[in-house]
Amino acid sequence: MSEKGISTLGREGLILRLKEAQSKFGYVPQEVMAELAQSLEIPINEVYGVASFYSFLSTRPLGRNVIRICRSLPCYLKGAQTVIEAVEKELGIKPGETTPDGRFSFQLANCIGLCDQAPAMLINQDAHVELTPEKITQILRMYK
Amino acid sequence: MENKVNLTLNGRAVSARQGMTILEVARENGIDIPTLCYLEDFSPMGACRLCVVEVEGSRTLVGSCHTPVTEGMVVHTHSPKVLAARKILVELLLASHPDSCLVCDKANICELRRIAADLEVGLPRFHARKHYYPVEDENPHIIRDMSKCILCRRCVIACKSAGNGSMFSVAYRGFESKVVFGCDQLVDEAAVCPDFDGCIALCPSGALRKPVKIGEERAEKALIIKG
Amino acid sequence: MPQQRVVLKNCGVIDPRRIETYLERDGFKALAKVRREMTREQVTDEIKASGLRGRGGAGFPTGIKWEGARQAPGEEKYVICNADEGEVGTFKDRYILERDPFTLIEAMAIAGYAIGAKQGYIYLRAEYHHLFDLLQNAINQAKKSGYLDGFRIEIREGAGAYICGEESALMDSIEGKRGESRYRPPFPTTSGLWGKPTIINNVETLMNIPQIILNGAGWFSQMGTERSKGTKVFSISGDVENPGVYELVLGSPLRELVEDLASAKDIKLIQIGGATGRILPYEKIDTPLAFETVLGAGAVTVYNRSRDVIDIVYRTMEFLAEESCGKCTPCRQGTEVMVEILEKFHRGEGREQDIRNLEALSQVMMLTSLCGLGQAAPNAVMDTLQYFKDAYKKRVVV
Repeated sequence: MSEKGISTLGREGLILRLKEAQSKFGYVPQEVMAELAQSLEIPINEVYGVASFYSFLSTRPLGRNVIRICRSLPCYLKGAQTVIEAVEKELGIKPGETTPDGRFSFQLANCIGLCDQAPAMLINQDAHVELTPEKITQILRMYK
Repeated sequence: MENKVNLTLNGRAVSARQGMTILEVARENGIDIPTLCYLEDFSPMGACRLCVVEVEGSRTLVGSCHTPVTEGMVVHTHSPKVLAARKILVELLLASHPDSCLVCDKANICELRRIAADLEVGLPRFHARKHYYPVEDENPHIIRDMSKCILCRRCVIACKSAGNGSMFSVAYRGFESKVVFGCDQLVDEAAVCPDFDGCIALCPSGALRKPVKIGEERAEKALIIKG
Repeated sequence: MPQQRVVLKNCGVIDPRRIETYLERDGFKALAKVRREMTREQVTDEIKASGLRGRGGAGFPTGIKWEGARQAPGEEKYVICNADEGEVGTFKDRYILERDPFTLIEAMAIAGYAIGAKQGYIYLRAEYHHLFDLLQNAINQAKKSGYLDGFRIEIREGAGAYICGEESALMDSIEGKRGESRYRPPFPTTSGLWGKPTIINNVETLMNIPQIILNGAGWFSQMGTERSKGTKVFSISGDVENPGVYELVLGSPLRELVEDLASAKDIKLIQIGGATGRILPYEKIDTPLAFETVLGAGAVTVYNRSRDVIDIVYRTMEFLAEESCGKCTPCRQGTEVMVEILEKFHRGEGREQDIRNLEALSQVMMLTSLCGLGQAAPNAVMDTLQYFKDAYKKRVVV
């Protein structure tokens, strides 16, 4: 956002404010949705409808770091499955789950636009490319 | 003075007022096009696609509820191509619909079932996962069974009971889409609305219904299915 | 036909963080020219004459779009740059934005002048958040240098939804809503963002604009085929030795891209245009890449002979089912039904009847879906049923 700041935006700021909550709390808590509904004068179900539509927003708590491994065809062809298995082994969780210590949530993503450097993943906002099972251990160590 | 638009509807020359949709013109001329999401007093959604018609020169079929008529338009509302498409659309809705018509409270007034019968939909050709949602029967005025919902959104757009908008919204996306109350909560005892009967009457399937007390007379007219 | 750098002219040449390096390469001269010498009508006429068509996949003539918005009544109008490329295998716009954000900004300002808009938005996909600062920096520098007087550009980030690359869903998302497709008409040129006249152009489409203005429509329309003028930027990946971004004159044969440039070997099939794109068998490798034949947004995914056709189609459909907005029946229900049928073939448990059902369903999804996603969702199924029917037949239970 540039000059205005997102709090001055009306309805058009809803997604930005949901994203703000997402990065602050790691998810969009119900209290935040209730506040947004009140300040925008829309019913909470409408806020929920928006929040639940987008895959980078979560209405349930996620771990401190969110791993999104691309599972679309270009990454799949380059062995994304072995990378997925390496993460599963390293963290002891399956896609869709969060580690008990809350350090990582693990998700599979649709094409993230890094197909020339496949297989690829995002951890939070960082792109990691040309992944191999061996690289996974090192990369995950960077996130506390 | 109003501008007139001349078009050909099922081989017949008709004239319409500028700004009318194909559906409005068809209905004015006594042609019945089935609809599931359309509501007369609201802006069209174009979601169910059941009202599609063939317009000569168009690459695809067009939704008649939202497409305005234009001068010289040639429309076929019941061509074999249209009927085949409508039939598959209904089959797609039924693909994930519970097979519980026999015991469904709305069975005899169900619009989906009537349209399916009109289009001579037989045994299901397509299958999709069923949605298993709990029946929401805590509220004395409304029962929701979202496993029967066909996502027509009539209840969403027609409801104005939440002050600044509807009590219901569509949440999630794709096949997981669901009409939710609050943050996907059950419609509980506490939910109040001056006009639950309004949305119940609009629901074309068994998703919304009125709790019926034993022995009470039913107000709705029963459905007569041909064949 | 050689590679031709029009869109990628500055990529790898300028410093995307420093406007001076862009100015040295004729930067903002086209904007100065339109403001000084051309009427709005002359600008839209020039773009129309160039034959430029949208590079995001639909191929709509850009000049006609601009003209529509210019002529639409209303004080408030908008220019939107669609930087939400989400088609499987597409990364060309990321490549462009990383290397040359300035040309895009100049083009948006030209578009603003042409249609009479004071506000522009860049809708950036959430997955490209790492480009936000670079883009904002470029906007700030252009503004500071006085090139954006009377025109304001803001970046709006998506939140993870492929469908928001579809123009009507994109506008809903900017408005803070679920990204659902709208029916048309009305078209965005008359009723777009907040109901105001709006043009939505793909990143690559806009990248062509400054050079068309400076070199003239005639220069541009010399390149390409009858109905596909200029160049196209392709993203190629999959079973190739040199994945990456290549710019070719439109009409170049697929073989040149896939075999000569990306060095693919032992090819079985090629998917052009991502999940909603077309699938061609190797035998069709001499097909020219153009709007008349196959193009899409220029995503090219190559599969070698070790790959399984059913696996490819199944994964393609799974993607589309997940990314369908869910508003209209054929797309929401149809993609799910298709996933479940293809899953049966994947397990080797298909039936003859399923093949007929896939064919009938493909037709109806194509004919009745509300937007391009649903209409193009069955492409992979239809093409493989045409070229690789045996792959299905082999998985039928007898």
